Amino acid sequence: MVTVALAGNPNCGKTTLFNALTGSRHHVGNWPGVTVERRSGEFLQDGLEIEVVDLPGTYSLAAKSEDERITAQYLASPEPDLILNVLDASNLERNLYLSTLLLELGKPLAFALNMADDAARLGMTLDIPTLATLLGGPVVRTVGSRGEGVEELKSVLAALAQGQELRRPIHVGYGEDIEGELRKLEGDIRRDEQLVRRIPPRWLAIQLLEGSAQAAALVAESHAQTAVQAQAEASRAFLERHLGDDCPTLLAERRYGFAHGLVKEVLRAPKVVPRGATDRLDSVLTHRWLGIPIFVLVMVAVYSLTFVLGKYPQDWIALGFSWIHDRLGALLPPGEVASLVVDGIIPGVGAVVVFVPVIMLLMGCIAFLEDTGYMARAAFIMDRLMHLMGLHGKSFIPLVMGTGCNVPAVQATRTIESRSDRFITILVAPLVSCSARLQVYILIAGTFFRPLAAALAVLAMHFLGFALAMLAGRILRSTLFRGPEAPFVMELPPYRLPVLKSTLIHMWEKGSVFLSRAGTTILAGATLIWFLSHYPGIGNRAWAQELRTQEADILAQKLPPRQEMAALESAQLRHQSRIVNSSLAARAGQRIQPLLSPILDPDHSRPEAWKDVVALSAGFVAKEIVVSTMAVIHQAPAGGSAPGEGLSPLQRALRDQSGLTPLTALAFMVFTLIYTPCLGTVSMMRKELGSWGWSLFGVAYGLGLAWVMAWITVLAGRVLGFS
Amino acid sequence: MPPGAFAKVHSVEAKGEIRQRLLEMGFIRGTRIRVERLAPMGDPMELVIRGTHLSLRKEESACILVVPEA
Repeated sequence: MVTVALAGNPNCGKTTLFNALTGSRHHVGNWPGVTVERRSGEFLQDGLEIEVVDLPGTYSLAAKSEDERITAQYLASPEPDLILNVLDASNLERNLYLSTLLLELGKPLAFALNMADDAARLGMTLDIPTLATLLGGPVVRTVGSRGEGVEELKSVLAALAQGQELRRPIHVGYGEDIEGELRKLEGDIRRDEQLVRRIPPRWLAIQLLEGSAQAAALVAESHAQTAVQAQAEASRAFLERHLGDDCPTLLAERRYGFAHGLVKEVLRAPKVVPRGATDRLDSVLTHRWLGIPIFVLVMVAVYSLTFVLGKYPQDWIALGFSWIHDRLGALLPPGEVASLVVDGIIPGVGAVVVFVPVIMLLMGCIAFLEDTGYMARAAFIMDRLMHLMGLHGKSFIPLVMGTGCNVPAVQATRTIESRSDRFITILVAPLVSCSARLQVYILIAGTFFRPLAAALAVLAMHFLGFALAMLAGRILRSTLFRGPEAPFVMELPPYRLPVLKSTLIHMWEKGSVFLSRAGTTILAGATLIWFLSHYPGIGNRAWAQELRTQEADILAQKLPPRQEMAALESAQLRHQSRIVNSSLAARAGQRIQPLLSPILDPDHSRPEAWKDVVALSAGFVAKEIVVSTMAVIHQAPAGGSAPGEGLSPLQRALRDQSGLTPLTALAFMVFTLIYTPCLGTVSMMRKELGSWGWSLFGVAYGLGLAWVMAWITVLAGRVLGFS
Repeated sequence: MPPGAFAKVHSVEAKGEIRQRLLEMGFIRGTRIRVERLAPMGDPMELVIRGTHLSLRKEESACILVVPEA
């Protein structure tokens, strides 16, 4: 099998070309040790099996970002047999800068002159044979979105792999002075044969002149270290003195000189290349006054599409699982195993699957925004605001989407290139109040506040969430993620019509990757929490027998159907309540409760405060479970209030028996807002951060911050005279 | 530089990562650039270099010394 690495600038249509080359046979994985996605696929050509590896889009191989480091390392490794350099035909000069570096890697190189239709529309004509001669490798004209040139590209790659293609190694001529120094440096490098086997000596020499840390690290392992380092320093100093500029500048100048000269040879273009539609669109979409309102409209559209439309499949999934739940419950003989399957595993799987629609929809929307080019404009518009909180313009969309659900919000941070910006965004995203927490607020605020005050309290939670996210962002930026902020040098690519097939593939991949990687964690966690909140009571045969006797009694009374149903439900609730209130979780809750008493029980007058702790710990699976757990613990259904009475039975129980006061209720809401990302979010954080350590840090600081903020709520409330 | 103005790059005074990034994007002595517009909140700015439209924060663009064109 032959491996082809796909390299190119961002926005050169690389992924679309990748999809066109490989059809639908893809594998999505991660590059070792990092969270950058690795996509690969295969095709068969002339009996030769060819694997294509899609690399992250980069402008250079200088290894400043994670993406560039992976690309540079992979390309220099023995794994890829050839490199396909994808070029945006309508922006050749800038795209060729990367080619000047790829030429140094010493591997067979083919070029795809992609988006050739765009170039033609702009009035550009390209002399492909001359370009192929000057670049020393085959050049194929392609239009990835329509599959044009893909067959030719396949056969060219197969021929190149079999050594049947014209191949003439070309290097950028850096001029006499630099070339002289490169030769000296190369000579020193060649003294270490092992080093030479790992990386082309000339390429290493160039990187050393540029001052690359990766190259220096490579040399540090070599026995020729001293000689090479000394020569590199001498060469740098000499060139700087002699040519009056530092090496990175000199090298970049020569590369652009090469690219410019090449373009002059092969390109016939009108003097002023118009960006027609893009310019017209930008004059509206990034307009001083219209830009922000339009952006808000786009956000509203994405939000509705994801969370309003996504609600339907979510409801169907919930219905489906409750149907399976009921059927299996009736089929299996009652007992611990049945309860594990029916109440533990099935709802656990349901809790995983229910995220898939919103994930796919949000990822589809984001892919659409990215592919059209609007994402870069959104970042352009919002950067000022996000920069104030130590973040990047691209952090805005994930944070806003977090108000629907934190899980896809964390995944949406993928679009942020800089690692520190992405990590900070992921860590603060769970502070944004999601729709699941809204159910808890509604329950509590509706119980303890008058309607207007309740609405204000719910609104205040959302503002508090955003404010804390901003504050935490600033703090993380100035403590754990100090150091120079990643430069905000972002391309604003021309607007393009997205390719539907690519968007659909992207959505499918995001959904399935979520299921396979985050899904298992969620399922395991949900099952564990079920165990903790049901044992040992679930194994109590006598209680189970009691429940069956009670049920039989009720049935024997031959009550009217409505009453019979109610009586049965209340018997079951009593039974469940008994189990949960004697469970491991309840015992732990009673132990932990003193820790939380400054918040939930400041006067030590609430014997039932531990019940809040149990509800909160169950809420770790998903925040809305706080409500259903409270219903079980307090033995009062959450829904179905009697007509004429505004409060539901659970709300009445909370008001009359729980001992919560309006002030401690508010503290409870604040705590619920902040205390921990839910299990789904934690699994997604783990996937996107690539580290359990950072994910647990996210949980821990959430708990700490929640405690402090809720405590402040209680203190401030007291000072203001509330109770 | 006001929006709409043309200039030629004189030098890049930034250090480290930003310098490398600006060089890669083609901010090299003598290259012609144009300021296209400012973002609605006044920062960052959009400028055009070698046919590419880029967004740069003020703190980054302040590192690029240019000679304005008449």
